[in-house]
Amino acid sequence: MAFRIAAQWLHSCAGCEMAILDTGSRLLSLLDGIELVHMPLLVDNKYHAPDRPPEEADIPPADLGLVSGGVANREQLELLQAMRRRCSFLVGLGTCASHGGIPAMINSWPLAEGLAATYENIESGTPPAAGSIPAPLDRVYAVDEKVNIDLLLPGCPPDPEQIHQVLTTLAAGTRPPARTGSVCDRCPTRRHSMADRPQVRRFVEAAAFDPDRPVAAMPCLLEQGLLCMGPVTAGGCEHHGAPACIGARAPCRGCYGPVAGQGNQMVAMMNILASHGLDFRSVVDRRAMLRFAGAHGLLRPVKPK
Amino acid sequence: MPHQSTILAFCCTWCAYPAADLAGTARMDYPAELRIIRVMCSGMVHPDLVLTALEKGAAGVMVLGCRPGGCHYRDGNTITLARMEMVEELMEDFGFDRRRLFVGWCSAAEPDRFADMVRRMSARLERLQGAGEEN
Ligand code: SF4
Ligand code: SF4
Ligand code: SF4
Repeated sequence: MAFRIAAQWLHSCAGCEMAILDTGSRLLSLLDGIELVHMPLLVDNKYHAPDRPPEEADIPPADLGLVSGGVANREQLELLQAMRRRCSFLVGLGTCASHGGIPAMINSWPLAEGLAATYENIESGTPPAAGSIPAPLDRVYAVDEKVNIDLLLPGCPPDPEQIHQVLTTLAAGTRPPARTGSVCDRCPTRRHSMADRPQVRRFVEAAAFDPDRPVAAMPCLLEQGLLCMGPVTAGGCEHHGAPACIGARAPCRGCYGPVAGQGNQMVAMMNILASHGLDFRSVVDRRAMLRFAGAHGLLRPVKPK
Repeated sequence: MPHQSTILAFCCTWCAYPAADLAGTARMDYPAELRIIRVMCSGMVHPDLVLTALEKGAAGVMVLGCRPGGCHYRDGNTITLARMEMVEELMEDFGFDRRRLFVGWCSAAEPDRFADMVRRMSARLERLQGAGEEN
């Protein structure tokens, strides 16, 4: 019998789904052995009638479930729970699912304040009437805060190579190999010393490098004084032998989330700067270091003093 | 200070911990709410440990190492100082009063200085709690 896969997007931007499609022609060869039983982006199977409560979502049973996006409202929560009930193995796909992702930045404000600020900046000006959209939760959650997840595959979006590997190994009945290490661990740049770098600067001017020479000849961006989040970010985004952004000669923004479990990228990065004698006060907006991993209660409103 | 509050102290194995040990064998008085965690070097105390302790309910955290220049690893306590200055600043992000962290130095032969630092921290926390600004 074919290996049945269900994919459901939650608080997602569809980038993770695009990454699935980006596995390209290999997806086509994979299709011989799998059956996509549910995937709103590709398959219209009327799983969720607007006049029925979402907990009645009609998601077909599957061997493997993929959920992308975090959980921000009741409907997403109930769809996630339905996915958990219907799938024997559930994968959180992408950084939003694993760590909250960009949408979890709203966790920095109390819900009402965040919504008000958001709607002030769009044309209709007022938040939609209660009941016209699903009720928001008190904050944005990662999927593993709400249900048991068998595997988290972070990345914004995850590398198609990894998605393909996970799909093929799981379809073959084995577990994909565990990933370890940071972006730095997989970075080929030249490292020397941070000693003469008193300050970090923003990435408003390009890094110093010779475009005719490989990434391995470029001095480490953090040593160049650029705020590179490589040391505190999980590795896995390599292309052509270098982490994706480093290969493009740009510092890592931290999109794979923390290296270990629910580590705090901001605290870890500030620690690295301070321990190496850099002026941590030269970081303009340190809370932005949690831009990809603010769920799990890491980003929250600053308590008034 | 009420009995249930806890001060967590990270003491380095070369100076602060032996000083605490001496303070004990010499039967010196110091506040009973202290809980000591022995670490090889005060410079290895990760900011996460301090913030987690406060989050889990410690009234205050002390990070105690060798006197400047007296570090067993030469410059471990320089790193401690750099890190803890940063932690003090992060504490505000987390909504903790920065006075709930105490960074101090003593040599292995200064149990009185150790006991005195603990007393000072205990009194400081008592004042903070009295002023209703425990957070
Ligand atoms: S992880 Fe990135 S690509 Fe995936 S849904 Fe979130 S924002 Fe989009
Ligand atoms: S800090 Fe950035 S540039 Fe330097 S080694 Fe790490 S990932 Fe590479
Ligand atoms: S280098 Fe960093 S920000 Fe860029 S893709 Fe990799 S993990 Fe994401």
